[in-house]
Amino acid sequence: MKFLPLVWAALTRKPARAVLTLLAVTMAFTVFGLMIGLSATIDGVAEQARGDRMFSVPRFSYDDGLPIAVARRIADTPGVKLIAFQSYIPGYVQNEKNHIYLSMGHADMARVFPDWHATPTMWDLVEHERTGIIMSRLQAERWHKKVGDTLTVISPQLKRADGATSWTFKVLAICDDVLLAPDGFIFGNYDYLDKSLPLAKQGRVNEVDYVAADPARADAIAQVIDRAFANSASPTQTITEKRAYAVSNNFGGMDVDVLTHEIALAGLAMILFLTANVIAQSVRERFAEFGTLRALGFGDPSVIAMVVLEAAIPCLAGAGLGMALAAFLAHHIQAIMPPGFGLPRPTITAAVYGGALGSAFLLAFASAALPTVRLMRMDIATALSERE
Amino acid sequence: MFRQIWIVSALNFKSLKSRFWQSMVIVVGLGATIGVLLSMMSLTAGLRQAYFNSGDPGRAIVTSQGAESEGTSNIARADAPVIMDAPGIAKDKDGRPLADRALNMGLPVLHKNGTKGFTTLRGFGPKGVALRPEFHMVAGRMFQAGKRELIVGVGAQASFQHMNIGDKVIMPNGEWPIVGSYTTGDILDGQLIGDTETMLTALKHTAYNSILVRLTSQDALSTFRKAITTNPALQVTVTRHSDWYQKVSNQSTSFLAVMAYIVGTVMAIGALFGCLNTMYAAVSTRGREIATLRALGYGAFPVAVSVILEAVTLAVVGALIGAAVAWALNDGHQAVWGQNIFHLRVSPAEIGLGVSWAVVVALLGGMLPSIRAARRPVVEALRAT
Repeated sequence: MKFLPLVWAALTRKPARAVLTLLAVTMAFTVFGLMIGLSATIDGVAEQARGDRMFSVPRFSYDDGLPIAVARRIADTPGVKLIAFQSYIPGYVQNEKNHIYLSMGHADMARVFPDWHATPTMWDLVEHERTGIIMSRLQAERWHKKVGDTLTVISPQLKRADGATSWTFKVLAICDDVLLAPDGFIFGNYDYLDKSLPLAKQGRVNEVDYVAADPARADAIAQVIDRAFANSASPTQTITEKRAYAVSNNFGGMDVDVLTHEIALAGLAMILFLTANVIAQSVRERFAEFGTLRALGFGDPSVIAMVVLEAAIPCLAGAGLGMALAAFLAHHIQAIMPPGFGLPRPTITAAVYGGALGSAFLLAFASAALPTVRLMRMDIATALSERE
Repeated sequence: MFRQIWIVSALNFKSLKSRFWQSMVIVVGLGATIGVLLSMMSLTAGLRQAYFNSGDPGRAIVTSQGAESEGTSNIARADAPVIMDAPGIAKDKDGRPLADRALNMGLPVLHKNGTKGFTTLRGFGPKGVALRPEFHMVAGRMFQAGKRELIVGVGAQASFQHMNIGDKVIMPNGEWPIVGSYTTGDILDGQLIGDTETMLTALKHTAYNSILVRLTSQDALSTFRKAITTNPALQVTVTRHSDWYQKVSNQSTSFLAVMAYIVGTVMAIGALFGCLNTMYAAVSTRGREIATLRALGYGAFPVAVSVILEAVTLAVVGALIGAAVAWALNDGHQAVWGQNIFHLRVSPAEIGLGVSWAVVVALLGGMLPSIRAARRPVVEALRAT
């Protein structure tokens, strides 16, 4: 640490250069944070997705749903345990631009989705107060609701038996969000929805959710179920949660993992040239100084440490600033983008910070490498007599 | 004065060799920025190109009012004959209007890599092929009207499993065989086609999605539109087919374009700082040389211009390298975005855009150092060691 004043003096000798380098490194790490953070979000979602949970939806005419009898037949399929189903209320709040979406589920949803934070107790509340809903925190914040408030949804697509399009609910519980639902969720009572619809529309579900007893057999069960309904009036489309949330499915078929890492790498490569040059230049300018230090008895390790430190300070500070900026942007990115834009929020996890720190050190060492080699080979006498 | 700019700039470029690695900061910085920008934009450009090819300005599409896509549009069965008899529609050899009732639905498919996705299954009426001179059968045969069979595009065959002639596709109330394959050279290549009326019956739908017509000439659009939209019984919109695809492609590419611009902008700012740094360093190492020139009577302006010129040249070289890499890595590769299958593109238009970004960065990055170079007092600079 006794070198700090020396290194600091070297950095502040050309303040403009130091500041510009710092800013360039900051930008590179902003890109790094956003990209690797995005990749972390998608990986996190893919990892949390369960291999044994499965969904069956209508293969065609999605909005018409499946007859509820399909759910019963799926429940009877060997290897299927725990089954629930849900129908959706798509609509808006006050203004057509404020899209909202409610999942009206069967009470067994709590058992099929134990990892979601809507607890069996909350579902019990909804079971007893049929117009009640459970909101995730994100949705509650978006619509400014707290427990006890009412929420009115207009759904032109879903008319009640009396022709009305407005649906009013009471918020009974608010729970935490889950990674699997980046836009939050609202749960309500399926029976209430079903009995409110015109007779001809009753008895249908938009989605059947269930758990396979053996996750290894889930894909095979999916095939069996789709085969079973292939020649019926309501063919199904079945997928395991793991597959539905697989990385390659999440971004319109693009391999986001590769893409984000390539972009992050391009940013770092761009900055490596800059930092390496700046350090090389700084060392070149102070060749005579280093000669003096060596003449005074500074050994190889001390000199190397000084150069590495001089490279490390802007790299680490830039990485810190860049990650902070990335975290800030990540937090606000959904507010900047138009609603329903579909961009997942990059999550800057500890691993992402770790990656940034590691990259910053690598950057510092790589930048300091060549100048250090030159210093080690330095002939003190030549260095001292050198005139620019 | 131009002679002075020329001489000073020539001198700069001659001394570039001694500042090779330093100059590489600009080249690599902008190379990386433009490479990333164009790679990300190759998706948007490719998708737009595919849609652009699909729209024929000689055709018009009729959709229900307010529909953003063919899938959400509805044309009641009874309205179809009224629309198809309207003036402005070209006649086929058999004397019937060149107009076709179209269906458009999502079809679940299995990608070659095993992931599930969707493509579009389209319904063609009797004039579906006559309306599209770009349509050609590749293998097998055309589906027969009234029969439960499908044909598949060559792009869909290349991307999805179970798309060979003879394979069966799950449909409501039974499976339909694939009897042929086709190409159109546009967005339809990634889709499947069947007979509109047969599909309508199978789906128990009561409405078509859209009606496509061939205009008597490109100018006939207004005649046709007027006839259709002044009919109070119809609540439809008439759009030139090429404009329609432009609208659809803007919807699906805006997300990608925004992403490309965000990342590109942040990287460009980083490259700008690098550029500033390099040019300041260049100006300072060449301080004495510049002062000598000034002492010899060269003006401040040519000196400043020469600095900016150097930055711009390096930036453009970097941008071209970045563009070349982006082109080599991406251009022509098949990509999937949502329901669309298309080829990535790094076209001259995108390369031009990339180069202009680089020029802007270099102008901003060269400006301040050039002012410093021009303003530095000659005597001071000459004395400096």
